[in-house]
Amino acid sequence: MRRGVKFDPVSLASGVVIAALGVLLLIDSAGGFHVSVGWMGVVLTAAVGAIFVLSGLHRGNGGKGP
Amino acid sequence: MNDDTPIMPGPEADEPTEPQESPTREQADDGRDRPRRLLRSSSDRVIAGVSGGLGDYFGVDPIVFRIGFALSIFFGGLGALAYLLLAVFVPTDGDPDATQRLGRRLQGAGFWRAAGLVLIRILAIGGLFGLAGGAAFAVALGWGVPTAILIIVIGALLALAAFRGGARWLIPPAIALAVGGGVAAAANLDFRGGIGERTYHPTSLASIPADGYRLGVGRLVVDLRDLNWRQHPVVNLSTSLGAGQSNVFVPKRVCVVATTHVGAGESEVAGELNDGVDVNHSVGEGTTSRPRLVLDSRVDMGQLRVINSDRASIETPGYGPGPLHTDTAPLRAAEAKACGAG
Repeated sequence: MRRGVKFDPVSLASGVVIAALGVLLLIDSAGGFHVSVGWMGVVLTAAVGAIFVLSGLHRGNGGKGP
Repeated sequence: MNDDTPIMPGPEADEPTEPQESPTREQADDGRDRPRRLLRSSSDRVIAGVSGGLGDYFGVDPIVFRIGFALSIFFGGLGALAYLLLAVFVPTDGDPDATQRLGRRLQGAGFWRAAGLVLIRILAIGGLFGLAGGAAFAVALGWGVPTAILIIVIGALLALAAFRGGARWLIPPAIALAVGGGVAAAANLDFRGGIGERTYHPTSLASIPADGYRLGVGRLVVDLRDLNWRQHPVVNLSTSLGAGQSNVFVPKRVCVVATTHVGAGESEVAGELNDGVDVNHSVGEGTTSRPRLVLDSRVDMGQLRVINSDRASIETPGYGPGPLHTDTAPLRAAEAKACGAG
């Protein structure tokens, strides 16, 4: 009997966000354009914050947490 | 099972039943309803409900404790440690949360096992910082593209793993890599110039490299006070430092015309102070005074100081930020005098 594989939206969203950060770093390192420290701080904070929010929302809907 | 065993009457037969739990709240002397024991608040919480619980227990506005905990971070951090311990070992007044479950695990594990668990967590956090530092170091050594590709691959693997139940354990190390690499790339961190302390005392223009002085990590000192400024009234100089402290010394009679950039940190040029991220600093623009230093200087992360003083020592220059330094007014006055003379 085959068991259904559970889909994890947090991993998907986190993977997309981290890959996007990697692309940003790639373009910066390759000389496409330069992101200043201030803007990079905003981007990184937003990315990490989005992952935390997604994780928290999913946990709340999943019935694990309050 | 012995069938001859006499059946004794249970306590419920002739004894009044004891209440299962004592009341959790009592009437205080001031008439207010307070909890009998310290519990973290599940309703009034910002982080873990410690301040809300303390406020409820002592009958004080929780904001008092919140301010106290926040201020304690700047005075040794003992308050933060106390908050952490209270969050882990004091139960909530509602459903058990993650920290309470952690506390129960630690209490049930015994001392050595609990110490081991704490050590593992500390090592895990240290490992994440190590990953971030490693990514930053790799980018600073010029391996930005391979680091970026690695981060993209990890992100793609994480996204693909979502369809097979997920791989959330991969999220913290991936974030650490992305943050370390991103900050290093944004700050243009460049460690390729070497590591250590470099001190230069050029005595002639010929001894100054055409492309200037460069250092990866450490302290870069260029002392131009032994230069013959009568013979060379205008000196062009460029310096570049990845991370650390960059100091340029000039005689106080020399006008400093500087264009500087600090990725993150502080800049002090002839007594003018700036700090923060992406600090661009221009001093003495348009001045034609002689003698004159035309400086193009950058520090990716750290401190840049241009000190126009005849007496400032290289080791402890003074005239800068910090409790052991003196006011920068003499440097600004010297700069105004030197640049106004032309």
